[in-house]
Amino acid sequence: MKNLMKYELRKTLAIKLMILGATALAEIVFLIGLWADRNRMTGIGVGLLAMLAFGGVMIIGIASVVILHRDMNTKQSYMLFMTPNSSYRILGAKVLENGISILLAGAFYFALAALDITLLFAHEGRLADLWNWLRDLLQSFDARITMDTPTLLALNFNLLVTWIGTVCAAYLGDVISTALLNGKRYNGLVSFLAFIALMWLVSFVQGKATAGISGIRTVFLVDGGIALVFAVIMYVLTAQIMERKLSV
Amino acid sequence: MLESRSVTKKFGSKVAVEQLSLVLEPGHVYAMLGPNGSGKTTWMKMAAGLIKPTEGAVLFKGSPVGIESRKHIAYMSTEPYFYSWMTVKDVGRYYRDFFEDFSYDDYKGLIKRMELTEEMRIRTLSSGMMAKLKIAVTLARDSEVYMLDEPFNGIDLLARDEIRESILEHAAENKVLLLSSHLVEEMEAIADRAVFIKNGRKADECDVEDMRNAKGVSMADRYREIYGHEGVQA
Amino acid sequence: MKFDPNRPIWLQVMGDIRTDIVTGDKPPGSKLPGGRDLALIYGINPNTAARVYQELEKEGLCETRRGLGTFVTEDGERIAALRAEMAGEAVREFLGRMSRLGIAPAEAAEMIRNEEENDHA
Repeated sequence: MKNLMKYELRKTLAIKLMILGATALAEIVFLIGLWADRNRMTGIGVGLLAMLAFGGVMIIGIASVVILHRDMNTKQSYMLFMTPNSSYRILGAKVLENGISILLAGAFYFALAALDITLLFAHEGRLADLWNWLRDLLQSFDARITMDTPTLLALNFNLLVTWIGTVCAAYLGDVISTALLNGKRYNGLVSFLAFIALMWLVSFVQGKATAGISGIRTVFLVDGGIALVFAVIMYVLTAQIMERKLSV
Repeated sequence: MLESRSVTKKFGSKVAVEQLSLVLEPGHVYAMLGPNGSGKTTWMKMAAGLIKPTEGAVLFKGSPVGIESRKHIAYMSTEPYFYSWMTVKDVGRYYRDFFEDFSYDDYKGLIKRMELTEEMRIRTLSSGMMAKLKIAVTLARDSEVYMLDEPFNGIDLLARDEIRESILEHAAENKVLLLSSHLVEEMEAIADRAVFIKNGRKADECDVEDMRNAKGVSMADRYREIYGHEGVQA
Repeated sequence: MKFDPNRPIWLQVMGDIRTDIVTGDKPPGSKLPGGRDLALIYGINPNTAARVYQELEKEGLCETRRGLGTFVTEDGERIAALRAEMAGEAVREFLGRMSRLGIAPAEAAEMIRNEEENDHA
């Protein structure tokens, strides 16, 4: 498993380094703007960083689906399926590697944002204002929402399983179209449509289940729990189809 | 050691392998012969556990091939399959990471004999170099079964001797070697048993030296008898 | 070594070794390569190589000493007999070819003598 994950990381390393490089550039733009007191540059830096934080996570997800597609549809499929590993392990390594990457990327961008915001306020000489700003930010949420630690944890759990569920749906969409069309045209379109349909199904069920719940923390948990159940079902289905189809 | 029990493989309506039964015993080098498209590659992929038969089963030591048998059967496909970002060294490390029977030292020796270096990039390898690399990395495993699909394809005349020798070095009493080829002449001296595949079916199986002794017939002669005009390859 | 694919390969390798024994390239009592090495030297299947030694042993041209390997026989008479046998084969083959050209053995013998005198002249 460790080895499978190592090579999944290796396959996505180039794109991850590119995102990291772009982030470093944006950070430099931000820092130079801050140091030279050029507000426009600082603004551009902040905009770029925000874009990369969201876009980067998206790209990592898309890249992992593209790689799965290649691992199923080209001769490179032998590299995985000749090894003494089941489809469950092969797919599991992909999901885990992706989940860990997303977790680390999220933590990284969160830490970077915290650092940059601190720098921004410190530079303005208004470090004290930072705390006011943060307090205002928290208070700007609905008064009923108290972002205590358990709720924050529930939110993070929700975000993570939602993401893993999204990746699993994309995987399932891809292997369904691969198994059905086997390298024929519209393969990509069919997998995308299957993905959209699966995502709609998940959110439909989530909507139904959370309709009558009032507490935000409970909503996060129920919503995430459903995403998790779907992720597991889709993972098993994907691995089952892979096992039947195996390589090209 | 390796047994094919009435194996059939269909791709849609096309039958690639049909009711193929075969028993491969240790201590022999088998030549699997037949024109391109006769079903050799499809059968080997099933034996390697890469694709599943539509009917029948391939058994390794009595159990259907699958995840467990991949540990003991070294398979070399005819097409290149390494990741394009790899170097020759990465390919060896990949095999070392996934196959317990792989020896990196043997690999080093083999790539040297094949006139390759660890620094070479997969992306820049010629088809001949790629063919040699596939053989090197497969033979660096100490497996019970070796299945090499078209090992002489794309190999120039000078390198063929080296390939033939490395293959023969792996022939042993406790091992099965199965080589597929449509270059029958290359097989004459190294294989002791021949299996002829025609249209997905087993057309004949024989001991090559016995056939020469009894009838003065070579493997190539028998090939011509079985395939007639359609077997003549460019 | 280039093989004739229509004749058993063990026979062809055997022929090669027999020649080496008669010419002294492989002297009496000398050690022959092991079965696996023989296979690699000639580029042949190991089972075929094993058969070469089996047949040579049957003919009394070599012997396998347990744990030591296979050796050329030290029996000079046996090697002399092999030489006579191989010479006989060569003569019969030669006469066969002459006969196809319509040349009788006596005439062939005369031609050999003439050829030899020309060589010496």
